[in-house]
Amino acid sequence: MAERRLNILHLYPENMNLYGDRGNVLALAQRARWREIPARIVTREVGQPVDWDAVDLVFMGGGEDTHQARIADDFLALGRELASRLQDGLPMLAICGAYQLLGRYYETADRTQLPGLNYLDVWTEAGDTRAIGDVVSYTDLPIEPRSLVGFENHGGRTFLGSRARPLGEVTLGQGNNGEDRSEGAVQDRVIATYLHGSLLPKNPHLADLLLMWALMNRGIDDRLEPLAADEEFGAHETILSRSRNS
Amino acid sequence: MNIRLLAAVLAARLVGWVSRMSGRGGSSLPGLIARRVYPSVLRDLAAKLEWGAILLTGTNGKTTTAAMVRHIIETEGRPLLSNRAGANLILGLTATLVQAERWRIRPRADIALLETDEATMPRAGEEIQPRLIIVTNFFRDQLDRYGELTTTVRYVARGIESLGPGGVLVLNADDPQAAQLGYGRPDVLYFGLEGEAAKTAEAQGYDAMDARFCPRCGTELNYARRYYAHLGHYLCPDCGWRRPDPHIAVVRWSRKDHEMWVRIHGQVESFQWRLPGIYNLYNEAAAIAAGAAMGSRPTAIRESLATFRPAFGRMETLMAGDTRLWLALVKNPVGFNQVLSAVFEEAHEGGFSVMIVINDRYADGRDVSWLWDVDFEHWTEKLSPRRWYVSGLRARDMAVRLKYAGVPSDQVTVDENVNRILGKAMDQTGGETLYILPTYTAMLEVRQELTQLGLVRHFREG
Repeated sequence: MAERRLNILHLYPENMNLYGDRGNVLALAQRARWREIPARIVTREVGQPVDWDAVDLVFMGGGEDTHQARIADDFLALGRELASRLQDGLPMLAICGAYQLLGRYYETADRTQLPGLNYLDVWTEAGDTRAIGDVVSYTDLPIEPRSLVGFENHGGRTFLGSRARPLGEVTLGQGNNGEDRSEGAVQDRVIATYLHGSLLPKNPHLADLLLMWALMNRGIDDRLEPLAADEEFGAHETILSRSRNS
Repeated sequence: MNIRLLAAVLAARLVGWVSRMSGRGGSSLPGLIARRVYPSVLRDLAAKLEWGAILLTGTNGKTTTAAMVRHIIETEGRPLLSNRAGANLILGLTATLVQAERWRIRPRADIALLETDEATMPRAGEEIQPRLIIVTNFFRDQLDRYGELTTTVRYVARGIESLGPGGVLVLNADDPQAAQLGYGRPDVLYFGLEGEAAKTAEAQGYDAMDARFCPRCGTELNYARRYYAHLGHYLCPDCGWRRPDPHIAVVRWSRKDHEMWVRIHGQVESFQWRLPGIYNLYNEAAAIAAGAAMGSRPTAIRESLATFRPAFGRMETLMAGDTRLWLALVKNPVGFNQVLSAVFEEAHEGGFSVMIVINDRYADGRDVSWLWDVDFEHWTEKLSPRRWYVSGLRARDMAVRLKYAGVPSDQVTVDENVNRILGKAMDQTGGETLYILPTYTAMLEVRQELTQLGLVRHFREG
């Protein structure tokens, strides 16, 4: 059996860290360590090599338009290898800008259409207004509770093709496009979403699903020991209660 | 006398008076009424100021810098009017000018010192036609309100277009985004730091570098010296753009002696440095530069700053019996890191506790993600308070943040109710220091409770 440890690849932490996306990486690493699974965070910036065989889980966040433009070419160059690994079951969490970049194409605020990696079966159009605010959604992923909470702040409107399914259905907030109540996308073991907040610290059940997928990908198909999560679900409940009151 | 101006001013004052009588202070309603009655009201009143207006903007340090500049001008006996920190949008600026006097229509003051929200700069500049503009720094702050950092910088750049001939622009040389606003202009007075940076940036742990790229060509900047975040001595390896030499440079400082030495146009003078933290060196340097820009003599500025007291909630200390309360506003990652660094500087002398109050109302920023960009991993290792208290609408999020930074749950008291936890924290901190770190609206709540307890008799709005 393979060794019980995890390498988390954080793509472009300097360019693509819009408001607390790094909280997701901190949450993954801590939740692994609290279970005595050594977790190492490997960062990669533009032009650096990646040792893909040593990667168990990928994270990428969102960035300002200018920063996103700065990494886009490099990301697309990286893309073939990344896409084939993702198809083979490498888990990834992609937030906001990273979500858009994984799709077929995305439109910037000035309506320029830019190519995406064409891995996720989604596309993004420019919206007239920004979707900003708290979000509550309910997911079909095998996790308990089924609720996910976070904060969205995006101008793009994302639509899903047939190969991607929504991560959740919103009961509070706009979600992908403000039209079909879908939020985020799931394809293979890739979870893509607009939710900041940071997302994983207050959705520990989703963090654990990603960790479990990462262990499975390493060939360790065991369950994760449960951890006390009173604080995490306390923060989760803060936003849930807002959807009940709205 | 313009009849519509008269009507606008009187109507606004009446509304302001009624609003205060009904116990709702700090309203921008007078500004709204005045502008409805006479849209040029701000333009007209600002044009009548004998010396002119000062606009002070930037992400962090506006309120403290404004308080220092106000103190410098007041010490010289020059009649001045200024706005409260919360009244920094166009309605607030208008309300400030129309309500400056009780009986006269036009302000008696020669000078208006206006702390101005970054996004309000284009309009404020156009209507007020300032004579002096001060830009402190640019950090990421409340993206739900402003959008991206580059947008914020663009707003301020548009405001600066209104600076007329004979005007002066005071800019932070160490902030690449602020400094580039002065590119190619002859009317700029730069301030910056030149002393040793105490530690390398790496040793300070994760540091929110909001603007590490050259504002002219986009290449990553090299730093010969970095004081915190992206403030320091930078050089673009590609286009060669570099930090301009500051006219007002802090060349040395001593925390122990509360003293800083500043070179002003070639002459070094010593100043009192009472507020902790490197970022307060910048605030004070900005104020000294503003004073110099207005023609004050360095010795006069020094004497004035020696009697300066901070605004409420900006590192002010209060005594509650034998317990010392220390308040500092937190609102974005860079600011929070700096406040924790200041707590660390202060806290070595004895037992202390820390209380963090996080709200997510509009004025606080509705997205609390930014708490994850604060380097708690670094500071919780260095700071060992007797107890952490967390409160506010998002107390639960703050509790999670501390948990993931490695603080054991049994060292943290969580209660969303600010008044209750404040009472408890003060009881349990008897004889020691309680550091209170609230977001903006949380600070107003803390202040109200301290006023109720009779601990704050009078304060300057901060």
